[in-house]
Amino acid sequence: MKHYSEEDLIAYQMGESSEARSIGEHLEQCAECATLAESVAQTLRVFSAEPVPMRTPIDMDLSWQRLRGNLAVLEAAPKKKRRWFSLWMWPAAGAFAAAVIMVAVGLRMHHMPNTGGAQETATQRASVTDALKSLVGRHQQAHPINGHGPLTDVPSDDPQISAHLDSAERLLTTVNHEEGPLDEATRAQAHDLLLKNAVYTQTARDRGDLAEAVVLDNLGRVLIGLDHAPETPKSTWQLRLEMNTDGLLLDLRVLRQNDEHGSSR
Amino acid sequence: MEKAEKEAIRRVVAGDRDAYRVLMDRHYAAVFRISFRITGNEADAEEAAQESFLRAYNKLPEFRQDAAFGTWVTRIAMNTAMNLVERRNRDLSVYAPRVSDEVGEGTVQVASHRAGPERALLDMETATLRHAAMASLTPMERTAFTLRHMEEVGMAEIAEALGVPVNSAKQAVFRAVAKLRRALEPVAGGMR
Repeated sequence: MKHYSEEDLIAYQMGESSEARSIGEHLEQCAECATLAESVAQTLRVFSAEPVPMRTPIDMDLSWQRLRGNLAVLEAAPKKKRRWFSLWMWPAAGAFAAAVIMVAVGLRMHHMPNTGGAQETATQRASVTDALKSLVGRHQQAHPINGHGPLTDVPSDDPQISAHLDSAERLLTTVNHEEGPLDEATRAQAHDLLLKNAVYTQTARDRGDLAEAVVLDNLGRVLIGLDHAPETPKSTWQLRLEMNTDGLLLDLRVLRQNDEHGSSR
Repeated sequence: MEKAEKEAIRRVVAGDRDAYRVLMDRHYAAVFRISFRITGNEADAEEAAQESFLRAYNKLPEFRQDAAFGTWVTRIAMNTAMNLVERRNRDLSVYAPRVSDEVGEGTVQVASHRAGPERALLDMETATLRHAAMASLTPMERTAFTLRHMEEVGMAEIAEALGVPVNSAKQAVFRAVAKLRRALEPVAGGMR
């Protein structure tokens, strides 16, 4: 008889399963799965919602007084002009840079001495490869070992590293999605993560987990950038562009999923 | 978004700090509630709520008013509370006394006034176990689980608030339940 996994039964008990009907029928016949399902249900009952303390009007007044003391008088940002500039400048700048590189590559190939068909083809191929490498950018350079990502499926078995990867992923997602200069809290978080990251990178190296060490090393470079980012809107844009965090985010997710699968084994 | 809120935002951005009270009065309860679910204690919930409203205030000039302020500030609160849990976990010297404080508060909430000493002891043990089990979750797992199970927030909304794919949010919830179930095994008489 096929048994359902713990995850299937958790999804079933939480109303998130797409196979609810077949699981329900199975539970009527399988005592083993029924016991596990009941254990999950019992867990959910134990962790049901506790009452939330009420906020009285006096509490609200105190909260407001406390908050008001920290509020600086705001000045409206020149929002529309900057957004128009931001939206159009970066794609145009990217296209311009690509065009310049292609012209440079073209000119180089044009001025190259004609020393024979096979050699010319090889040289041209190398030039194009160099140009492509420079276009691909910093993320690739940060993975001399792995190329496109962490080539590992080994979990780290350290809940602190899992939590660190969680935090780093959330921080980078926040930085990627927000506009304007980084706020104090984000900077402080980047600083905290940077300190921990150095320790985890060394731990990964000592453990011989080079794939994880490379990703953490790359994360460290990004965190240094965040920690020292100047506070102008333009420089923050430049920082986000340079970070190219999409690839790094993917790497972090792969490592985190390794840990997830490792803990569910 | 309501006209009164739009007007309050316009005034705040124009330099009137006191207009922010309108937004705080309307949304503080929801933000505090979410923060309490995630942090698990009143003092940290208050701190997270304060920080969330402060962050929202500082970002108000960039806030796009096509979204609801309440939804926006609640999402900020989820992340802020989660980061606070993380800081507490990291600084064990701060966290440890808070757990015992919290257990005391939890006991008052759970026990009935007429409960005898045995019942009170059992409640205290249960509360201790619950808090210890919750403390073993990562901030992401804890947040995703409390929002889904206690606040009945949809997976898509949780995923969006935490900036992760829906499947990751789902996995975080399932992983949390599995860990909590194992944490209860010693008292549940050998659950599988």
